[in-house]
Amino acid sequence: MTVDLRKDFVAYAKDLNKASEDTNIRTAITRAVSSYRSTVAETLERYPHTPELAEEVKEIKRNAIANNDELVKQAMASVERNKGKAFFAKDHHAALEIALGIIGRGKTVVKGKSMLGEELHLREYLEENGNEVWETDLGEFILQLRKDRPMHIVSPSIHVPREQVAEVFSKFFGKEVPPDIAEEVKVVREFMREKYFTADVGMSGANVVAADTGAMVIIENEGNVRLSTGAPPVHIVMVGTEKIVPAFQDAMKVAEVTWRYAQYGVPGYVNIISGPSKTGDIEKVTTYGAHGPKEFYVIFVDNGRSDMAKEEKFSQALHCLRCGGCMYECPIFQVTAGHFGHVYMGGIGAIWTAFASGGMEKAAPLVYSCLRCGRCVERCPMSIEVPAMVGELRERIVYGKY
Amino acid sequence: METKMPMVLDIISENIIKHGNPLALKGSEVASWAKELDLPVKGELLFYTGGEYQLLPFIDSLVKTITHLDQGSKMFSMMMGARNILNKTGINAEKMYASVLAKDKVRYNSVCLKAAKVLQGLGYEFCYAGNEELYSGALLYELGYLEDMKTYVQKVVEVIRKSGAKTIVCLSPHAAEVFKFVYPKMVEGFDFEIVTYVDLIWQRRDKLAKIQSTGPVVIHDSCRLARELGIHQELRDILESVGADVKEAPRNREWTSCCGGPIKILFPELSHVIGARRVNELKESGAEHILTSCPYCLSALEGGRAKGDSAIIEDLIEFLYRGVKA
Repeated sequence: MTVDLRKDFVAYAKDLNKASEDTNIRTAITRAVSSYRSTVAETLERYPHTPELAEEVKEIKRNAIANNDELVKQAMASVERNKGKAFFAKDHHAALEIALGIIGRGKTVVKGKSMLGEELHLREYLEENGNEVWETDLGEFILQLRKDRPMHIVSPSIHVPREQVAEVFSKFFGKEVPPDIAEEVKVVREFMREKYFTADVGMSGANVVAADTGAMVIIENEGNVRLSTGAPPVHIVMVGTEKIVPAFQDAMKVAEVTWRYAQYGVPGYVNIISGPSKTGDIEKVTTYGAHGPKEFYVIFVDNGRSDMAKEEKFSQALHCLRCGGCMYECPIFQVTAGHFGHVYMGGIGAIWTAFASGGMEKAAPLVYSCLRCGRCVERCPMSIEVPAMVGELRERIVYGKY
Repeated sequence: METKMPMVLDIISENIIKHGNPLALKGSEVASWAKELDLPVKGELLFYTGGEYQLLPFIDSLVKTITHLDQGSKMFSMMMGARNILNKTGINAEKMYASVLAKDKVRYNSVCLKAAKVLQGLGYEFCYAGNEELYSGALLYELGYLEDMKTYVQKVVEVIRKSGAKTIVCLSPHAAEVFKFVYPKMVEGFDFEIVTYVDLIWQRRDKLAKIQSTGPVVIHDSCRLARELGIHQELRDILESVGADVKEAPRNREWTSCCGGPIKILFPELSHVIGARRVNELKESGAEHILTSCPYCLSALEGGRAKGDSAIIEDLIEFLYRGVKA
């Protein structure tokens, strides 16, 4: 079989060129990069133990990925022990089917931001199956209305300026929304509030999972995750298997390093959820669904991760905390944003594209647009050797070894 | 499975494998700079250019061809002008090469000569393989042609071994990188000491003559040199020894910004955008005189300089040569 990549490269080059001429992207990223650099420098100075903690987290992640199969079992057992229901999805289709099986049709779903959700095209799938799904993260909500895709993993709508937000909101809400950021935030707050309390299901991802306790750690700033995982009667977590670490204290370390390199001294909220809402206040009889969800489901998704874990050269890609720091330091990302990406972005995104989200053919042009300059490695708290992995993928592409 | 890659990759990799140079330059062209020096072919220290500075003027003409033509078109494949398709198409590569500006050819060719003279001025004695010198194959490594590289490097090593040298001094950090990290995995007993031009200058920097500079200079750290080879303070030490006023760019040393060069052949426009941004970033230092020490950085930054921008972009070699002439 012959795979002709020539046209893909030409189309991709055109897309990159167009993105590099987009003044919205350029203004937004320039601002974001300079703010990222100064904020991270400041927070690292304020919390000087962070680099050392990152070293510790490297070891935690390395061991966790080496023992991933075992940790998945432990985490699932913990979730069940906590009266939640745990599922394992081998691939993309299984993950979506399990989620749909829990949700059914004709439901309203509020969801938090999740890269795994993007990987699975979760919202689109649930919508196609007759559900109403709302992205509650402001950036994701803007993209949902624009039918657009994320341009950064932490700040998805980084490329959309306030004027364009006002335009899309005015159209959606059927009233004039001024290009004023505070007003824009307010109008979404009002709209979403009603959705949280009428939704049938709340969905979220998780930044870290502790296998020993089944605790899901979710970092956020807007408070949308608190509401969407707290208000509806059902909470479904969909999380990649690489997010599991052995113990609760490990999870805290991973979480702190993640948010620190995502430029937060401390995030607005850290949610720790390990089971359905419960009370024993009347006669010490445990009853589920007190104020929060009565039902709690966790779907652990593999979808290419165990293949990555098996390969010595690629397992470190699973150490990625998704802090997004590398992207701000990537010269290609700085001028093209998420166009240097498929679902996952930047150099590390090219690796994830090959294994988990699109496959080698989708990954090939991305793999060849990496400069292999190595600055992402300097920034990465896990020192993930993206250039080396890119080199390895290039070899596989050239010789069709995939 | 077989993969059809963009044609420019096929042509470059085939040129390296068949002609020992990414653009199929002839050995005599690559070595023409050395005529006046009459360097020995054997010695302890081997001066290695890899033909990289020499091919710079042609890269731009290649890139122009790529930029103006759809890479999927028939015209493109004909216009590539590389010698390995010369017989099939009847297009004369020489003609395309001849279109290169004479002053660029003279400039980039002279970098090797200047490097040799600076080293000689510091008392280094070295040999050079001349017409026989082969390109290191760094692009094969860079672009994923590793299986081909395994065969190719054996030829390169044969030429290197003929010199009897124990140490190889590389002008290009890319050559130094592959000799240091890739060759030992592919060639049994590849135990040469690998140094860069910068290393040797640094060791004897006290002997360098002072340079009358026109103003402050700023260093563009090459990614390979700064991050892979860990050389950045050395450049500053050297410049300090010659009395230069060194300014620092906002991103420098191990945090240096890439010049955009590595994607030049596949994504020329984007490469150009990145080069232009880096030039501006370097100028934020307050210096308009940019110095680098990598052939591809030199070419990419030159390409990224805006029309009418008075900034001077030079290789460290060119800068240090001012002291030799004085």
